[in-house]
This record gives sequence, structure tokens and C-alpha cells, in this order.
Amino acid sequence: MIPGLPPLIGSLIMSAIVLGFVVGLVAYTTLLERKFAARMQSRVGPYRVGPHGLFQPIADGIKLLLKEDLVPASADRMVFNLAPVVFVVPCLLIFATIPFAPGIGVADLNIGVLFFLAVSSMEIVGLFMAGWGSNNKYALISVMRAVNQIISYDLPLLFAALVPVMLAGSLKMSDIAAAQGGGFWFIFYPVLGQIGFLAFMIAGVAAENRTPFDILEAESELVAGFRVEYSGMKFGLIQLGEYAHVIGTSFLGALLFLGAWAGPGPAWLAPLWFLIKAMLVFLLFTWVRWSFVRIKVDQILAVSWKLLLPLTLGLVLVTAVVVVMRGSHG
Amino acid sequence: MAEVRAIDYTGSERLTMNMGPQHPSAHGVFRAILTLEGEKIVGVDAVIGYLHRCHEKLAENLAYVQYPSIASKTDYVAAMSSELAYVMAAEKIAQFEVPKRAQYLRVIVNELQRVASHCLWLGTWCLDMGGALGGGTSIFLYCIRERETVLDLFESLVGARLLYGFHQVGGVRYDLPAGWAEQCRATIDTIGKRLFEYEEMLEDNAFFEARTRNVGVISSALAQDVGVSGPLLRASGVDFDLRRDQPYSSYQDFQFKVPVETEGDCHARYRVRMVEFRESIRIVRQVLDSLPEGPISSRPGVKSLGQVRVPKGEAYARVEGPRGEVGCYLVADGSQKPYRMKWRGASFSNLAVLPYILPGVTVADVVAIMGSVDPVFGEVDR
Amino acid sequence: MGNPVSRGFFAEAAALAGAVFRAMRITGLNLFRKPVTVHYPEKPRAYPDRYRGLLALTYDPKTGEENCIGCRLCEFICPPAVIKVEMLKSTGRNYAKSFSLELYACEFCELCVQVCPTDAIVMTKSFDMATTDRRELLMDKDRLHAIGLQHQPSWGTGNRLRDAQAPPAPPKKPTAESAPAAAAPAPVTEPTAAPTEAPKPDPPKPEEAKA
Repeated sequence: MIPGLPPLIGSLIMSAIVLGFVVGLVAYTTLLERKFAARMQSRVGPYRVGPHGLFQPIADGIKLLLKEDLVPASADRMVFNLAPVVFVVPCLLIFATIPFAPGIGVADLNIGVLFFLAVSSMEIVGLFMAGWGSNNKYALISVMRAVNQIISYDLPLLFAALVPVMLAGSLKMSDIAAAQGGGFWFIFYPVLGQIGFLAFMIAGVAAENRTPFDILEAESELVAGFRVEYSGMKFGLIQLGEYAHVIGTSFLGALLFLGAWAGPGPAWLAPLWFLIKAMLVFLLFTWVRWSFVRIKVDQILAVSWKLLLPLTLGLVLVTAVVVVMRGSHG
Repeated sequence: MAEVRAIDYTGSERLTMNMGPQHPSAHGVFRAILTLEGEKIVGVDAVIGYLHRCHEKLAENLAYVQYPSIASKTDYVAAMSSELAYVMAAEKIAQFEVPKRAQYLRVIVNELQRVASHCLWLGTWCLDMGGALGGGTSIFLYCIRERETVLDLFESLVGARLLYGFHQVGGVRYDLPAGWAEQCRATIDTIGKRLFEYEEMLEDNAFFEARTRNVGVISSALAQDVGVSGPLLRASGVDFDLRRDQPYSSYQDFQFKVPVETEGDCHARYRVRMVEFRESIRIVRQVLDSLPEGPISSRPGVKSLGQVRVPKGEAYARVEGPRGEVGCYLVADGSQKPYRMKWRGASFSNLAVLPYILPGVTVADVVAIMGSVDPVFGEVDR
Repeated sequence: MGNPVSRGFFAEAAALAGAVFRAMRITGLNLFRKPVTVHYPEKPRAYPDRYRGLLALTYDPKTGEENCIGCRLCEFICPPAVIKVEMLKSTGRNYAKSFSLELYACEFCELCVQVCPTDAIVMTKSFDMATTDRRELLMDKDRLHAIGLQHQPSWGTGNRLRDAQAPPAPPKKPTAESAPAAAAPAPVTEPTAAPTEAPKPDPPKPEEAKA
């Protein structure tokens, strides 16, 4: 909140700043991913558009804007056109609850983490609308699988996120960040922190449809995924939403496990540290993405229900016990 | 790409899906009309011929000195093996002697070609399974990086990277330039080391195993009935390798192991080819160590069109290419052009096994199976 | 579909974790390797001596005359028949009245180079000929000569190739090591005087190819 201004105006300005920042970050994160993936594959990524490819995202954006906007004749027009919007809105909304520095943020809710995870899984609606509106049988099948997958992995994601929540004792994000202020980040917490982070990463990768869990795009081996019928800026919006979701989850991971903005140096460097940590989590996601072949649908669901869910439930149980014992001791 | 026409026969959920001739997991131009019941395939109708370029007719119109560089275009990924089959057939009919050095050079070049071809196979197979954006791409690019070094070797030797024209009737056209042997040794050492990296990425990897174990099982009886050859045959338990059992071009002088696996699934084919990688490298080292001096051709270098005349006769020459048995059946009539040539493409027979192994698998497995069969449509359609 | 033998929960999880870390280690390792990209066209690629690039016609360096005698051997041997030559008879030697080469259909198989008795047609160490109009790739004699002057020819010329492939002549005298017994090509690093070649074949050097 900006002091001195009426709350409504203040939050509007803050929202605009955060939105602009997020969209810019999303664009340049695509470049970061491409360069990182390229270096892992013994090549350089985008190189020619601007010095070392720095203008590549801008060029991509302009290209998408200039493309023809195709709507299949037999598609359900309203659903088809609305789907990217319904998809992108929750993906951007999650940034409203993230505090980028102590006191800077759009809305630091009391139930921040819960709001984040609940809203981020609303993208499923947009996803499903895209698959349905395309009127393409295989887009629909692929998106139904994606919905299945996201729902299966949202549970372990929630439970893994509950571990730092319980250790900090609050769902409010700035409280969780403050609880790690002393340099003892939750990832350093013996056993619970590391396994919690690991479970969060796995569930996060799956909830965002990234390889190796990208069965959504695996249909592109034979049929393109749900994005097949989209072109131009609608496709751009879907990409924007996807990457925003990934970055949002990276920010959440950095906040929950890596101490958010804690870092050496003056207080105004705090958002920078947060950004660096979030990008580190993002690079970890990217590293996983470019290392594995895809796995099959039954395997994906088996990992979720048979491996991750019991693991995270067990984690939550143990964390609860630890918290109660800690609380009863002092 | 994919069109879907629902054909409702008896009220069951049968769907006809068209895969190809252009599809993302492109192994070439191939069209498979799949009949699906839900997720499982119940019927396969393979349509080939999109790459037919009349090789056999061309061979009737081109002289023996002209055709070897065209022969490389049948199996363009393993061009050296293709050329070798043709020149061996001509030499067999005419009883031309091939000098020892030329035979050894042919072995080096064929084994290097096997390494390059398997690099491409591994890369594209992982690309299909891992997606164009994802881990599959990483392995693909690593394999291509290694393949490029082998192609650099060929470039120093022949001047061309993919389609060579290296063999000619009576011997080979190019000798080793200075320093090539050292470069070759360095290259195969590097590839040998990098192979361990690929295996680390793939071996014991639950994702990889889930996609390849028990998928696309070809039984030993089926393999022999249909006539598959090469790694497919050896992965199904049949211990047969032309280089060892019917040696040609001095292969009997070298020690190498012939890998055989019994399961017959995609994983077995993968293991067979990975071992073949290493054995090829071993053979190249042995050849380099024992390369004799001598001429590289028993016939004078090509100076005119009618230089090579093969007397009347017919012969069938077989070569163990990376995909299987590549064969060339030549009927000569005493002139400078063959009367008839019949080309046995390894992939043509290998593809014939698809209607037997595809029914019963899901659509996603088709890609893994096609990749492990490793067809090249130049030799399917000729 | 078929799954490997289930090994129990913790063994399975441990195997999965192990596989994950191994695979990520390899990609991480490659992260620190130098990229193999060659930034063409700013940095030129090193072409080997035998590179089969664009075709060119050459002049005799001593007399400045064209090497081509219009014998049409290249036309007859070309598999896709892209060369068309007309001979111009003259006193002393013949010339080529016209020489057209359809570069867009050329296979780059080097057979025409191999049969040329005067080393007139050679391949150069360049392939930079991308155009937007295919008609620009229909080479006539002047353009072929221009390419020959512009680019460096590669090692393979007719006489060199034929000499390298010739089988050994039966030994005549026991003293001199006659004939190309070693059948060795000239060393790869020999610089050729760009852009022309001597029309007479060099006597074969009795050097050993280092193998």
C-alpha cells in the first residue's frame, strides 16, 4: 500500500506496476530459459536479435501480434475466444498476493498461501475451455488428461506448501518470510525442509505441465495439444499464462523454502534477492525439463497418487508433531 | 497431420486416425492409417511410396561408374553401406579383385557410418519420446554433436558429409589424407566417452524404462518369418550378423562381438544398438592399427563412361548396414550398364513387422516403436 | 502398459531419485562445456582440402588459356546429366564453344572432375551460392570461370584423383621405386596456387600416406 494515497488508488497503481513487472519478467524468462537450455545442449540460444538475443522476446511478441487470428469454423466461438482470457487471469492474479519486499505487494492477505494455490488451480477452467472450444477431439482428450494431472498434483503441492506454513505458524506470506529472517531458511530445516522442497518441486513441475509431466503436449507426437487451434496473440496469451504460472510457483517456492528476500546487503536489495532466488527455482524447473524424456499417463498418475501424496501427507503429519512438540516446549 | 473420421461399425468406438505422411515424429514420409478402439490400436494400414524415386530403373540407365554415388541415396543416413552393396554385386559378377587396403578402408568407412547412423537413431528416438521441447532434445543435440564430428571425418576424407560416392567398382576413390588417422582416433575416443554419458541419462531411468520395456515385442519366430534383419533380429534372440557369418570385405580379420538380446522389445533394440556403437569403434581401432599399404583400387581411376564393363552374369551382394541387411541383386549383360538391379532395402522388410506388433498398443507407444525400428524411407521406397 | 518389476516403495523411489540425479548431472555437465556453434557467417568455417564445393572452370597459370578442350567427357559421365558442352575445333587444340552447368541439379559427386583430362573443371572450397532465383544457378562458361577465379579450388582434380586410384604398374626396374606403389596422394597441406592448376599431371610422389 502506498501511504498518503487513498487505498483504492494506491492499490491500483501498485497493481499496474506489479502487472507490468510480471509481464516483462515473463517475456525475459522465456529468453532465460532458451539460453539456459541452449547452453545445456552445447549451443547458444537466441543470438542475433539484439546483443546476445536480448530483443528476442520483443520480436516474438510483435510477431504474435501480427499473425492472423484464426478461429476454426466449427469451434464454439465464445468459449474459444474467452478461453485464453480465463486461462491467463488466474495465472496473473496469483502475483497479487506475493510480497516482493517487506511492505511492497498488492495485497498481503492473511490467507496468502491458500489464496495463491487455490487461484492458480483455477487455470484448469481456462484450459478446459480451450480444449472444448477448439472442437477437436484430440485437443479435448489431451486437455482432459491435463485436468486430471493438475488436480492430482495440486494436492501434494498444497501439502508440501503446508510444511513451511506450519513451521511458520501462519498462512500470511510476509509472516512466513519473516520467520526465515534469521538466516535459517526452511529448506535448511533437517529432513522436513529438504523433502518438503523436493516434493514441492515435483508437484510444481507436474502442476504446470512441464516435462517430464507434459502429457498435455505429448499428444503433439501425433496430434497437437490443446493449443493447436490457437494462433496469434491468443496463443501469446496462453504462453504468457503458462510462464506466469511457472514463475509464480517459483516465487512461491523461493518464499516458502528459500527465505524470500533474506540476503546480505542493504534493505533495498531485498526484492533483488527475492528475484534471484525465484529465478534459481525457475532454473531448477528448467533443468529438470530439459533432462528427461516424457513419461506415460498412467505413470504420471501413479507417481502422484502412490508416491507423492503419501509422502506429503506423512510430511504434514511429522511437521504437525514437530510443531506441537516445539510449541509445548517453549 | 491428424484427421479423425469416426467410423461406427457395430456401435463400438472405432476410429480411423491418419498418422502422416507429415507428422512431428518424422522418420520420413510414411503414412500409417491406424484403426483405434478407444486408446488401443486394432489395425494398421501402412502406406509407403511417398519417396519413390525409381532407383531400380535409374540403375538400368546409369553405368557402373556412375551409379555408386546414386546408390548412396537409398539409405541416405548410412550412405556408405548402400554404395558398398552395389559395388560388391558388380565386383562379384565380374570377379574383380579388391585390394586389401581398399577393403580395409571400406571397413573403416562402413563402421564409422554405423556410428553416425546410430547417433542419429538415438537422437531422433529420444526426441520423439521426449518431445521437441524437453529432455529428448537434449539427447538429440548431444548425439548430433557427436555425429557431426564423424561427418567432419568424412568431409576430410571424401569432401562430402552425407552422400559420398566413395566406393567404385574395384576399390575406393579416395585414400586417407595425412593426419586423418589421428583425427579419427581422437574422434572415436571422444564418442566412446560420450556414450557413457548418454547411457547415464537413459539407463535405469524409470521414465525411459516405462516407455520402452515390453513395448513392441517382436518374437524370434515373427522376426524370422517376416524377414527383419539387423538390430531388430538380434534383439529378438536370433544370433545372426552378416559381418561375422558371411564376412565380406575382410571383416573376418577383425574381432568384434555381436550383441544379442532375447526380449525383443524396444529396450532390447536399444541395448543392441548401444553395444554395436562400441563394437564399431573397436573395429575402427583395429583397422587403423593394421592398415596395409597398397593401391586403393584394382581398376584404373574412372576416366570415361564405358570404362567398367561387367560380363554377363548375376549376383546378390549383402551388406550388414546399420538397419539390417542391405542387398543388391544385379543382372549384368556385358555392357557398361546393368540389365537389372533389384535393391533389398533393410527398412522395407523391417517395416513389414508393424502390422503384427502395433495392434494392442496405445497410440503413444507407436512413436517409441517406430523409433526403435529406425526406418529410413529412402530404402523403403527406393 | 508393461511396467518393470515393482521393487517396493522405497526402492522404487530411491531408483527414481538416482536416475533423476544422474540425468540432471549430465545436462548440468554440458552446461559448462563450450558451445559448438560456429557463428557463421561472421566466423568462416574451416573447409578441408578435399571439400566438394561449387564447380568452376580454370585457366592455365602459365599461358593464361582456358584449360577446357571441349572433349565432353564430363557431359557423358554426369549422372544427372547437368552439363552441356559444345566443342569448338581450332588449330592445335580444341575449346569449348559453350559450357553450361545446371548447378541446381548438380549432385556434387565429383565424377566430372575425375574424368577431366586437363583438370579444367574443378570443385572449389565454397558453397555460397544461395539465390532467390533458380535461373541464377544455371551456370554458363563465363560464370564458371568467374567462380574459378574467385574461390580456392580443392585438392581433388582429375589427374590427382586418377593417380591416387590407379593400381600399381608392374615393377620395371629393381632400383627406382617406380609407379605409384604407395598410391599416395599429395600431402593435404600443400598450398595450391589459387586459382588455377597446371594442365599436365604431376609425376606421382613416392611418399607414404601416414596411416
